[in-house]
This record gives sequence, structure tokens and C-alpha cells, in this order.
Amino acid sequence: MALTDWVFDGVLGLLVVVLAVAVLYARTLYASIVLFIAFGLLLAVVWARLGAADLALAEAAIGAGLTGALLLAALAQTSTTPFAEQRSAHWTRQRWPATGLALLVGVLLVRSLVGLDRMAEPGLMDAVTQNMADAGVGHPVTAVLLNFRAWDTLLELVVLLLALLGVRQLATKPLVIAAPWALLEAWSRILAPLAVLVGGYLLWRGSNYPGGAFQSGALLAAAAVVLRLNHLLPPVRWSSWGVRILVLLGVAVFLTVAIFTHWLGAGWLNYPLPFNGLLILLIEIAATVSIATTLTLLVVGEPDEVRA
Amino acid sequence: MTPVMFWLGIGIVLFVLGLHGVLLARQAIRRIIAINIMGSGVFLVMVALAARGEARDPVLHALVVTGLVVAVSATAFALRLATAAQAGDKKASEPKA
Amino acid sequence: MTYALISLLIPLLTALVLLLTGSRRGVWVILASALSLVAAAFALLSVMGSGTQYLALGGWEAPLGIRFHLQPVAALLLVFTALIHLLVAVYAERSSHSQTRDTDYWPLSSLLHASLAALWLSNDLFNWYVTLELLGLVAVALVTLSGRKAYGAALRYLLLSLVGSLCYLLGVALLYGRYGVLDVTLLAELTVADATTQMALLLMTLGLMVKGALWPMHLWLPPAHAGAPTSVSALLSALVVKGPIFILWVLWAKVAPPELAVSAGWLMAVAGVIALISAGWSAIRTPYIKVLVAYSTVAQLGYALLALGLLLYWQEPELEVALWLFIIAHGLAKVSMFLAAGEMQATIGTKRVAGLKGATETMPVAMFAFAVAGGSLIGLPPSGGFVAKWILLLPLFAEPAHWPWALGVLVGTLVSAAYVFRVVALAFDRADPVRPDFVPDRFAQWLALLPALLVWGMALISQPLIQWLTGVSG
Repeated sequence: MALTDWVFDGVLGLLVVVLAVAVLYARTLYASIVLFIAFGLLLAVVWARLGAADLALAEAAIGAGLTGALLLAALAQTSTTPFAEQRSAHWTRQRWPATGLALLVGVLLVRSLVGLDRMAEPGLMDAVTQNMADAGVGHPVTAVLLNFRAWDTLLELVVLLLALLGVRQLATKPLVIAAPWALLEAWSRILAPLAVLVGGYLLWRGSNYPGGAFQSGALLAAAAVVLRLNHLLPPVRWSSWGVRILVLLGVAVFLTVAIFTHWLGAGWLNYPLPFNGLLILLIEIAATVSIATTLTLLVVGEPDEVRA
Repeated sequence: MTPVMFWLGIGIVLFVLGLHGVLLARQAIRRIIAINIMGSGVFLVMVALAARGEARDPVLHALVVTGLVVAVSATAFALRLATAAQAGDKKASEPKA
Repeated sequence: MTYALISLLIPLLTALVLLLTGSRRGVWVILASALSLVAAAFALLSVMGSGTQYLALGGWEAPLGIRFHLQPVAALLLVFTALIHLLVAVYAERSSHSQTRDTDYWPLSSLLHASLAALWLSNDLFNWYVTLELLGLVAVALVTLSGRKAYGAALRYLLLSLVGSLCYLLGVALLYGRYGVLDVTLLAELTVADATTQMALLLMTLGLMVKGALWPMHLWLPPAHAGAPTSVSALLSALVVKGPIFILWVLWAKVAPPELAVSAGWLMAVAGVIALISAGWSAIRTPYIKVLVAYSTVAQLGYALLALGLLLYWQEPELEVALWLFIIAHGLAKVSMFLAAGEMQATIGTKRVAGLKGATETMPVAMFAFAVAGGSLIGLPPSGGFVAKWILLLPLFAEPAHWPWALGVLVGTLVSAAYVFRVVALAFDRADPVRPDFVPDRFAQWLALLPALLVWGMALISQPLIQWLTGVSG
């Protein structure tokens, strides 16, 4: 391996670690959050470096973008007292035992990983390659997500739904959205359709190249959030029928396909061969719509009724 | 040392740093951030393991995509719960003050 | 296998329909869990008839795809889950004190049921991660139903649960990196005792112990379980903490190489005995009714941990019978105890144990349910708890070298007797009973008694049950 590669890897790795330390021990919460977003973006570079383009896209959209937005929203709602911002305040008394424990875990982990890098374990790569012809899509990661391990993905959609249901149970204040800034509003009118376009492209492309339902859903959600924050979209509420249908569409379509494939004899989630690509596309579109709606609700959803 | 080992090491450092942060942080939001860093460490270990051969292991990549979505869902819920809990604490302490 | 799938699907579809229509009527959930129970019973029958079954999801055989594995224990747990969900659903619909009116309790409890069913059926390390996450999120969402006062406990539960999941996931990553498979049955044939495997198992065990509230990772449980609405407390204590124990059992009894399992088993058994005694002690000392019941869960999980630990330590698969009998007997008894405790607490109008003074006069049926369930937790014959403890004790008495373990069980029994009798004795103090704020609800009290009677009824069918479980283990 060339020296330049090593230098690049070394600098990147070091930067990631330094940023992580900075995030964890930053003096103020605000600094910590901003650094965390930078950390996420850097991580996306790492994924790209390690040949994981899907993850680079997902990390930038979901990991850094969405998590960052959620963190900033939480910060805005949290009125931090100066006391909580003092550096000493976020160190508890168990400093040394905790450091010792963390170090011990680290040493044990390193010891357990030695030799793992050279192990020529093919994993499931051969199995994936052999079955790609029958997978209905051309991109291996999409094939794993929506065909080989589709059950995981179905349950994952339920996890997302549950996060929304969990948030719904909480008695929270209604969202206050400041009057939009004229330039921002103008920009959002251009940005939002662009995001929809790119989102649609990512979804379509996902069957043969990196990209797919989650990355695309996150982008669409970002567009919806921007529009909502600029009052270009009416308030989104769980109590409206339409929103509920959109949120549940992904799981519902997925389950319907699963039940019909089982009923009609092929087996649970066993897509019949000539239609497998079509069914996967159908599921992906439904999932994208659900993911986008759910994420939008998570960020700018309104509480539907006042609960005591 | 191979590049894979290097990234595995970085992954572990992130995991351990995150763990340390979770154990020590007091504010809920900081804990949530620390958990996310722990998660990034786990994902980095997985992606580094996927890069061992000539081709990348698509199964591990798919698992990480799933893991990312699960992580962001849980983070969203945890953050809202943390702010709601804090608002509840303030409300509870107001009459006394 | 189709029956098992139906048993999993019914609650999932019910949750979707309820969410879509926005309905808050419990009737549908009661109906659905009854149907799910019937389907689970058929699944159990088919396993008894034709043995363990696999279903390759999507038609992709392992190691590429995910397989469902319908084994006898999983079928039994499917029935158990549906039964308990049904009982609690009837209580939540009927009782005026269930604190679940005008909330999303119904879709959430259905999702809880579905997640557990998915967990029992799964045979894949990563799929378990997703189901564990589902279970954790739905449990926390249910805890928050009781309002602001529970948010702190719910948050702590959620954060610890997330750390636990990440430890588990790192373990999965290590195992996949080492062996290249995620399917449990295939992995079991490959494992060897090396540093990677050991660390992976250690991480997964730590994560699962946090999620299952096994000593010493149990501190989040009492505030979360005690702060939740009564029907939620019952579901959490009877069902949710059993999920991680199931995975722990599969990991150590099937996947781990015996060399590692033996030493881990000893540690687990010791932790179990400590849990039994220390959590029991906390239950004796707490002033609150529901915290007492919640600590009793931690203590009783100690028995399960002890059974699992000794099973591994001595490599004796027969102890599996004791483990699963404990799980089922504890589940039934704990539903009864939480429903009785919650009903009494709400009717009498105090959270304190002292408020139960004279409860045998004011709420005799609920108090009877509490005592009967307590009897099974202590292990009085002929309850299900007794049968489980008896099977555990038999090998302990067989050799003098095992007597220290027997002593641990004995002390644990005394401690459980102490916290149950603490309540019962107070309830019989009829000199100056605490007057209830509301008219006691007779039906809800009888409902609380039903699972307690079932657990005593377990003793009647214990002979065939033990024979069957012994036949299928090992």
C-alpha cells in the first residue's frame, strides 16, 4: 500500500478520534452538538474510504443530518442553566472507576480483535454473489436489505414507527415556528423540489447502485421539514387520516406482500420470480413514503391534542 | 499493521470513548450523544470487517444501514423523552421555589 | 409453522389497524390475543407432534437468509405470551384503575406481543438485535403512559437499554467477523474457545443482562416497573425481561463452546444467588407496594439465572426444565401480584405498603390473589414455583459438594417468604383497617386471582409437562 494512502488513513482516523473527544468533553452543549454534526460528516468520509458508498449516503443524511437536527431541536427546548454548563458539572464522582472500566473494555476488545483482520473469512459474500441473479435487483446491499434479509427491514420499519409512537405518548409543548426569513423562503421553494428530485433518483438508483429507501426517505423528510419551517406546508399531525396512512403504508405493504406470498404458496416473503423486481420496487416506494413522513413527524410533528 | 486493523482500532477507541462518556455525563443529551458515538464505533468495526477481502461484504453494509436507522429512531425518542423529563422536573420544582 | 406465523401476525396486524383507525377500544385486542393464543396452541401441538421446525424466510436458506426456528421452548413461550397478554388485556379493558384509558395502550401492547413472538421465533443474531430494540422501545413507550412522573425512570431505562443493545451488537459483529454466519444453528457448529469468541459472548451477555435486569444490572428496573401503569407493570415483569433470558440461554447453552460455558455458568449462578438475596432484602425494606413487587421480579430472575448458570456449570441440560418452569411460573404469579397490588393501591388510595393494613377485610379477593401468587414465588407446594424449585434442588441435594448452592436457594426462599408475609401479615391486621377511597371492583380482583390459580394448577399438569420438557431438552 502506498505511503499516501497511509497518510490519508492516518490523518482521517486521528481526526475522527480527536473530534469524538472534542464532542464528549466540549464545554457547552451547543459546541458539543455542532462538533457532533462535523463528526458525522467526517464519518461519512470514512465510510466512503472503506468502500461503503451506501453508508456514506446514509450517514450524511441520517447520522449527521437528521440526528444533528434532532439534537439542535432538543437543545432549543432545553433551557440549560449556567450551572449545568460548568465543566465540573458533567463529571460525576465515579470518574476513576469509569475510566478504569472503559480502559479495561478497550484492552480486552483489542486483544480479541488481533488476527481478525487477516482472517480470510468470506462471510456471506459468496452466497450473496451466487444468488444475485435471482435477487430482482442489481445492487448487493439493496438485495440483502429487501430480499435476503427482508424480515430485518420490515421490523426496522416497525422500530421507526415505534419511535414515533413513543414520542406521541409524551406531553410536549406545541411547536413554535418563527416567521420565515424572506430569502430562506425563496431558497426553500427551489431547494425542496430539488430534494424531492434527488430523493426520487436515489430511490430509483438504489436497485442497481448505492442508495435506497432510507437515504431517499431522509432526503424527502429534510425537504418537508424545510418547507414546514418556512410555513409552506400546513402543520402535520398524527390525528389526520392521510398522515396516518402515509406513516403506516410501508409496514402495511410489506406485510401484505409477505402474507400473500405465504398464502399463495411461495412462502413467507418469497417473491415469485418474474415479479420480484417489481415487488421490491413497490415495497421500496411505500417504505420511502413512510420513512419520509415518519421522520418529518419526528422533527416537526405537532402534538394533536393537549394531554394532561 | 493492516489498514483493516487500523480502522478496527479506531472503532474500538470510539466505542470506549462513548462508553466513558455515557458513564460520566450528567446531562441526558450528552449521554445520548455519547451513545451515538459508541454506536459509530460499533458500525466502524463492522465496516472495517467488511473491507477485509477484495470485494466489500454487502451483508455487513446492509446490517449497518439497518443499525443506523434503528439508532436514529432511538435517538429521536430519547431526545424527546429527555426534554419532556426536564420540563416535567422544572414544573415539579416550580411550586416549591 | 403457519400457526406460529399467524400467532405472530395477528397482534401485528391488530396494532396496524388500531393505529390506522385511531380506535381505543380494547375489545379488538382481547379478541386478537385470544385468536393468537389459539394459533400458538396449535403451533405447540404441531411441535409436540412433529418436532422442531425451520422456516426459511423469503425462501433463502441459511446462512444467507433469516430462518425462523420453532422449537418446543419457543412454542411454549408463544402460548405463554399470548395467554398473559390476553389476561392483562381483559384487566386493562375492565378495570377502572388500569391508567390506560385514552392512551395508545392497545396498539402498543399489541406491538409488544408481536415483538416478543418475533424474538421467540428468530434464529438469527442480528435479527435478535432488531427485536430487542423493538422490545426496548415499546416497553419504554408503555412506561411513559403513566405521565410525567414516570419520564425520568423511562429515560434511564431507555438509555441503559440502548447501551445494552450496542454491547450486544458489537458482540454480533465480532462473531460474524470470526465465523462469517449469523444463523444460530450454523454458528453453534463452528464456535471454538478463542479470545474473539470469549469477548463477543461477554459483550452480548453484558448487553442482555442490562436489558433483562439481571443482577448487578438491575437498578433501572424497580423505578420503571413500579412507575408504569398497572397493566404495563404486569406485562413488563411477566414478559419483557424474559426475552433477553431466552437469548442468553440460546447463546450459552447452544452456541458457546463448553469450555467457556462452564466458567461463565459459575459466575451466572453466583450472580443469581446474590440477586435472590440482595433484591429480596430490598423488597423487604421498601415502603412502596409496587416497588416491592418490582424488586421481587429482580429476586425471582435470580432463580432463573441460577438455573441457567448451574445448567452450564455442570453441563446438565435437564436443568432447562427448571429454568423454563421458573420463567412460566414467575410470569403467571407476577401478573397476578402486580394486578392485585395495582388494584389495591388504586382502590385504597396509597402507594405505601402500610396502606394495606386490614386489606383482607376490605379487598379480600385481591389480597388472596397476592398471597396465592406470593406462595408460588416462595415455592410453597403444590404450586408451579414449587415444582420448578424442586427440580432445581434435586441435583443440589444429590452431592455434598453442591450443598452451598442449596443453602443459597434456602436463604433466598426465606427472604421471599419474608417480603410476602410482610404484606400478608399486615393485611390480616384487621383491628383498624385503612378504608378504601373507592368501592372495590370485584371483577378486577377475580381477574387478578386467575393467573395465580393457574400457576397452582400448573402443579396438576406438572408430571406430563416435566416429562415433555425433559424429553425435548438435551
